[in-house]
Amino acid sequence: MAATEASTAAGLAGPQLTGEDTARSLDRSRVHDARRQSKRWRLLWLLVGPGILAMLGENDGPSMIAYASDGAQYGLGFFVPFIPLLFAMAYVCQEMCMRIGAVTHRGYGELVLQRVGPVWGWFAAGDLTLTNLVTLVAEFVSIRVGLAYFHLGAGVAVALGLVLVVFTLSGGRYWRWERIVLGMALFNGLFLLAAILVKPDVGAVARSFDFSPFPGGSFNTLLLLLASTIGATVTPWMIFFQQSASADKGMTPHDIKHGRYDTAVGAVLAAVFGIGALIAGAALLTHGGSGIQGFAGAGFPEALRHVAGGAAGAVFALGLIEAGAVAILTISASTAYAAGECVGVSHSFNSSPRSAALFYAANIGVALLAATVILIPGAPLLSIALNANVLATVLLPVSLVLMVMLANDKGLMGPWVNKRSTNVIGIAVIAFVGLCGAAYGIDSFLQTVHIIGS
Amino acid sequence: MRTVAHLGNGAKQTPGLSEQELAPRELFDEELIMYLERDQFVAATSQPVQRAALSARATVGLWALRVFVVLVSLMVIYTFIDQLH
Repeated sequence: MAATEASTAAGLAGPQLTGEDTARSLDRSRVHDARRQSKRWRLLWLLVGPGILAMLGENDGPSMIAYASDGAQYGLGFFVPFIPLLFAMAYVCQEMCMRIGAVTHRGYGELVLQRVGPVWGWFAAGDLTLTNLVTLVAEFVSIRVGLAYFHLGAGVAVALGLVLVVFTLSGGRYWRWERIVLGMALFNGLFLLAAILVKPDVGAVARSFDFSPFPGGSFNTLLLLLASTIGATVTPWMIFFQQSASADKGMTPHDIKHGRYDTAVGAVLAAVFGIGALIAGAALLTHGGSGIQGFAGAGFPEALRHVAGGAAGAVFALGLIEAGAVAILTISASTAYAAGECVGVSHSFNSSPRSAALFYAANIGVALLAATVILIPGAPLLSIALNANVLATVLLPVSLVLMVMLANDKGLMGPWVNKRSTNVIGIAVIAFVGLCGAAYGIDSFLQTVHIIGS
Repeated sequence: MRTVAHLGNGAKQTPGLSEQELAPRELFDEELIMYLERDQFVAATSQPVQRAALSARATVGLWALRVFVVLVSLMVIYTFIDQLH
């Protein structure tokens, strides 16, 4: 396979190499060597990254709070099997993104803009910027909540987030950025540790896989739960991020099998850690958990400390800091990729700040803007955080439809177009996400304008 | 293809350097190029892909979905603002 890869370029007549090409080809040379020497684990190590980052990046602050809230209000039933189901849906979507990126070597934004039309490209970028900005505010809030447990304030949260963004950008290499963020993302496992520390009833966890009891409460509450939990699993930024990162990493059609492993491992880890947050939250069920508003003060970590001890509270707080920090890095990156792709300028971690000024500026700028919001006295941070996932769910169907269109484009994808089964599942996912988001949006609006009662 | 002169090698301009001494550097650069696919170079990805011809049905469907999503988003944002009060 690698020989084919090499021979593909062998006939190239004098390409103008850029620094980005050189950096990417160095990474590819390691993949080539590992493949040639049949070093399977080495090959896997070199090719994992975008899938795990997209999935664990989506296990962000608001998502983990949403899972813990589900557990605190409704217990384990229904949500323990529902979370893996949602990540299975996310796998279907993210596998398509990885495949499109590996085959076309282009990001989602630029492909939509060029292939479908500029109006659709800019719509997609607009949706992304809006949801990313709102979500980034929620990530800074998440870090703030985690730090509040250790008696540290909003200023520290802002400084920590921004320093991380600048630090990870400083290397001028995709590989370096990816490995640093990947290393940080593995600390998402703190939520699993928090679940162990609350000493759950293992039998009850196993029994909850039968989707019962179904959550009670009003129809609108159920829709909100579904919309926010879906928004905690599949979002527009993941689509932009994984496709662009796969292209930036230099993945090719030869790497699709490993890209699938990467995405699957990410989905499994994210589901396990998400269930960890749910189980930790469920420890509060019999201790007035339904009254806990996740982002109010130190919320969950403090409540866990009272119920399960200081270690559980501290681990959960550290988990929130990690979840927010990793998401700030991946969501800022997806915004930067989209900005560079839509404007049509250099957009790669392998480019220097001078040759990819917009990419670097957007990466830092969007994080800076979100950070500024949390420093505004009296800003409605709780409402912003809680609505971030819902807004992402409502806007998601258009991004998903365009993604399925690209994945079925024979002119782009050649033999790597979607199979019929992938299309069936993809369309079912779009219908489910669209219905849940729209039902919540319409129902809430009708209640707000008093056309229907709550 | 870039030559030794572009590699920042201190010996690049040195007269009298034998071909044998130059070869490894040049080979290194050639190998680097070979690790990328033809359509993976920045020069290639900078070229836009051809616009697809969308059917009228697909265009109408996309616009209908777009309008619907914008309307629902406005409802969510309105509800959000109302809740703030």
